Amino acid sequence: MKKLISIFLVLCLLTALCLAAHAASPLLTDDAQLLTSGEASALEQKLTEISTRQGVDVVIVTVDSTDGEEPMDFADDWFDYNDYRADGILLLVSMETSDWWVSTTGYGITAITDAGLEYISDQFVPYLSDGDFAAAFDTFAELCDEFITQARGGDPYDNHNLPKEPFKWALNVVVALVIGFVVALIATGKMKRKLKTVRQEVKADSYVTPGSLQLTASRDLFLYTQLTKTERPQSSSGSTTHRSSSGTTHGGGGGKF
Amino acid sequence: MGVLQEYKCPCCDGAIEFDSNLQKMKCPYCDTEFEVETLAAYDDALRSDVDDEMDWESTPAEVLSDGLRAYVCNSCGGEVIGDEQTAATACPYCGNPVVMMEQFAGSLKPDLVIPFKLDKKAAIAALKKHYEGKRLLPRVFKDENHLEEIQGVYVPVWLFDTGAEADVRYKATQVRAWSDSRYNYTQTSYFALSRSGSLQFTRIPVDGSSKMDDTMMESLEPYDPADAVDFQTAYLAGYLADKYDVDADKCIPRANERVKRSTEEAFAATTSGYTSVIPEHSSVRLKHGKTRYALYPVWLLNTKWNGNTYTFAMNGQTGKLAGDLPMDKGIYKKWLFGLTAVVGAVAFGLSYLLWLL
Repeated sequence: MKKLISIFLVLCLLTALCLAAHAASPLLTDDAQLLTSGEASALEQKLTEISTRQGVDVVIVTVDSTDGEEPMDFADDWFDYNDYRADGILLLVSMETSDWWVSTTGYGITAITDAGLEYISDQFVPYLSDGDFAAAFDTFAELCDEFITQARGGDPYDNHNLPKEPFKWALNVVVALVIGFVVALIATGKMKRKLKTVRQEVKADSYVTPGSLQLTASRDLFLYTQLTKTERPQSSSGSTTHRSSSGTTHGGGGGKF
Repeated sequence: MGVLQEYKCPCCDGAIEFDSNLQKMKCPYCDTEFEVETLAAYDDALRSDVDDEMDWESTPAEVLSDGLRAYVCNSCGGEVIGDEQTAATACPYCGNPVVMMEQFAGSLKPDLVIPFKLDKKAAIAALKKHYEGKRLLPRVFKDENHLEEIQGVYVPVWLFDTGAEADVRYKATQVRAWSDSRYNYTQTSYFALSRSGSLQFTRIPVDGSSKMDDTMMESLEPYDPADAVDFQTAYLAGYLADKYDVDADKCIPRANERVKRSTEEAFAATTSGYTSVIPEHSSVRLKHGKTRYALYPVWLLNTKWNGNTYTFAMNGQTGKLAGDLPMDKGIYKKWLFGLTAVVGAVAFGLSYLLWLL
């Protein structure tokens, strides 16, 4: 029995070594020291698991500063000049300028469309803004996993089939209560008005002699016309790409948090 | 003058009254009825009777302090006290209806009167109905509210015939919106409109009594002037009446306000086919025609609850009743918060369902 367990452990270790050997560069680089060591190892495990299973490297990089480089170039170069697979998704967080950037390469471009990236960023950027980096990276990794799985099925998430955003409980409760209060105010206002029947009569409509309205002059003069045109919002699908300094094609996008 | 007028039944000599259901004079003692058409002649006859009596019965209105006046009842000799405006009342001792003739002499004589169509029972029934469907009315109000007083009153009103001439300029817009595959278009066309013309108003009533609340009187409108008949004092028998104490000149501004508003709206209604019409300049000139003095029938009901008096008034012609009722703050809060919770829950449920779909 003990033998079996030790063989199993050795096998596990070997597999882990093999996997590590394949992705030579680390999937998590926390240069900005945003995570505790516990969080970091848990996240690294998760990234390794997803990357191995999907065959797409999901990389997270945090830095204090990009040293004057554009976040896009910095992220693209990081992916290009390290030893990653040809398919990958990289999230860069730069603390000094509060920048985040997602750079996609190879199959990552297919899996993460422009619309898909907007959806993903809506989920994890609020955590970045709150300073909850572990949750932000966790959410990011899980969503990448989900998006790659969807893309493998042949129909990547895009404008027409984005997954549902989680239900916003607090916001919905507040909005529902405000609507309820306004409706209640209108309804009780109506009940209140029923109690007050003594009102001034502001018009004398009942005393108009029927048919006595006579128009001696009636003129409708056209003055001028104004035409405004606004562009209709175009819904684009797919991913926009660009070429990095090393000549590799990358997709992705980013912003501030 | 200065004497009271009573209408005696030619059959039994009892004091007769105007009956709103029959629209006739009726003797409450022997049930004899008299046609309305005979009232004029009857009135004249009675007036001459009074003139004859003037020679030997010298009981002029005794002017008391505080604007009160004393009269002597022809039936029982009791003292009837009224104020300067009182024109018809009942003797407090024998209950016979009496009319102060001097209040209708010469220029004080009303031109028109709308006789009562509805009686006391109808007024009480209307008040009961008035409580219905009022969710915020204190629950005990209906049971604990005691009817203190109910009076049929002829309220003096001034009726104005007015012609309005108006010139109005408007700025109007027409908005058209369409779109093609790339753009949404909005086209706004601007117009200058002008309208000139005239509008006639007949018999706009303005309360001529300072005792009757003007707003209350307007709440009872409209009265149908088609029912108005030439004034006969006999119509007043059995009711209370006052003579006017606010003269016509003071009432004109109120009528003008209403005419101006109605004229502007009538002219605005002649502009159609526009998205928005905003008046830029409006000038309404009024020409007053005939001014008439009339008596309009009102049932006044006073009730008492929790030490407060609540006054209701009913249009004696159409039965329209007006009068403010108290509000139960507890019930109000229950409705406000209850509805907030219920509507809020429904809205939340809907938002969740929408999310699920």
